[in-house]
Amino acid sequence: MTIQQQTWRLLDTGTQAAAQNIALNRALLDARQAQQSPNTLRFLGFEPCALLGFHQSAAQELNLDYCAEHGVAIQRRITGGGAIYFDTTQLGWELYLDKQTLGTADMTAISRRICTAVARGISSLGVNAEFRPRNDIEVDGRKISGTGGAFDGDALMYQGTLLIAFDVEKMLRVLNIPAEKLSDKAISSARERVTNLETLLGRIPERSEVIAAIQAAIAHEFNVSFAVGELNTVEQALYQTALAEIDHPEWVGMIDLPASDRPTLTAVQKFTGGLLRVNVAYDQVKQRVKQVWFSGDVFISPRRTLIDLEAALRDSHVDNLDGIVRDFFASRQVDMLTLTPADILGLIKMAIQPVEVVA
Amino acid sequence: MATVRGCNVPDDLYYNVDNNVWARREADGTLTVGMTAYACSLAGEIVSYTPKKAGKEIEQNKSVSTVESGKWVGPVKAPVTGEILAINPDVAAKPGTINADPYGSGWLVKMKPTDWDGQSGALITGGAVATAFETKMNADGFGGC
Repeated sequence: MTIQQQTWRLLDTGTQAAAQNIALNRALLDARQAQQSPNTLRFLGFEPCALLGFHQSAAQELNLDYCAEHGVAIQRRITGGGAIYFDTTQLGWELYLDKQTLGTADMTAISRRICTAVARGISSLGVNAEFRPRNDIEVDGRKISGTGGAFDGDALMYQGTLLIAFDVEKMLRVLNIPAEKLSDKAISSARERVTNLETLLGRIPERSEVIAAIQAAIAHEFNVSFAVGELNTVEQALYQTALAEIDHPEWVGMIDLPASDRPTLTAVQKFTGGLLRVNVAYDQVKQRVKQVWFSGDVFISPRRTLIDLEAALRDSHVDNLDGIVRDFFASRQVDMLTLTPADILGLIKMAIQPVEVVA
Repeated sequence: MATVRGCNVPDDLYYNVDNNVWARREADGTLTVGMTAYACSLAGEIVSYTPKKAGKEIEQNKSVSTVESGKWVGPVKAPVTGEILAINPDVAAKPGTINADPYGSGWLVKMKPTDWDGQSGALITGGAVATAFETKMNADGFGGC
């Protein structure tokens, strides 16, 4: 006996402005929740934009002057996570499903399953892509796809970027990430953390080739086939409503927090094995480490260790740092000469400790 | 206090099981609203909380707050229609309080219900709570808290 294979819809909405794309996120999720939409795999492209995570503030995350001067639109996603720079050199992918389809409501499990499947699709292009907890797809320690999700009742949307080619310098200029001050060193440092298909393959793959690879991987993972579709009338109506809300300064400015609440803090220490610097984007109000960026010349093998630790530490409450660092080093073999996990933890704490003002 | 698959679900509260939300009827007729321990377990550590503003009228099954965990964002839905009376400053300062104490200090909003008698019949309380959550956890393929 064979089980009837489901057919999911394949949507390709081409390249659009950020507001249009995010409004479609809202419309398609709402329609899926109202059971007015089928399960859908959507591909999309963006005109140059900075996309905030749902709970982020533009003043904290972005270089607003640069965005204004260079025509980089600013939008707020309906999904969580951090700000990203998106332009026409990247491909967006999204799944609209319900929890019954996935057979679980566990958010971590859903992220892992979808990311692992998409990583398999990316790998079929000739690279070694893997899921990296919590929400990245990476190639040899370098991020190639960032992801996030939104849910409403039993419906969910899970989305990601895929870097086909990428302008790292532009990313550094748009985003307030705690990298070194913009320089050749900063650019090479960023290239140790992000990669793209052009760099890995030595050519820019056709958009259709990349879409086919991801589509095939999703089809295999969920045992489904795809039929190319269009927006239905319910979705079109929801889209117009969503666009009116989202293509509006009130939506983008919905969370507006001062940059001074989320400074980049630095600590540097000389160890026997070399110098280690840590820059920490730190939410002083919620006491959360938003992003960590290590640099220096300490000996650590494998080399990607500190970059993997950055991923593990992302958006962590200060109370959880000890456990994260301990678990991270307990779960892998690392050679650091005389440097210890406690040294690294101590350096992070040195960066974020409250400054005592001496009268 | 009922426990289903390791998740606490106090049976003196009122639940919308599908939305994984609870309400406590206070002595003055107001409601305290929050996420269930089961919802917290599915979400993982909650890192952001954006409630609707005090004074706003929210319809039953519409969002009283948005929460984020592990890059997932979603609404917490009003168990009944009512006006938001208060939001939780402790949760705003430390959203992980929701996970640590979902039925206590991790409450999300306080509401003044518009028609408690008319709408609360759709909520589950008392002896039916454990069975309802067992059914939901089974449908969700949930292993346990």
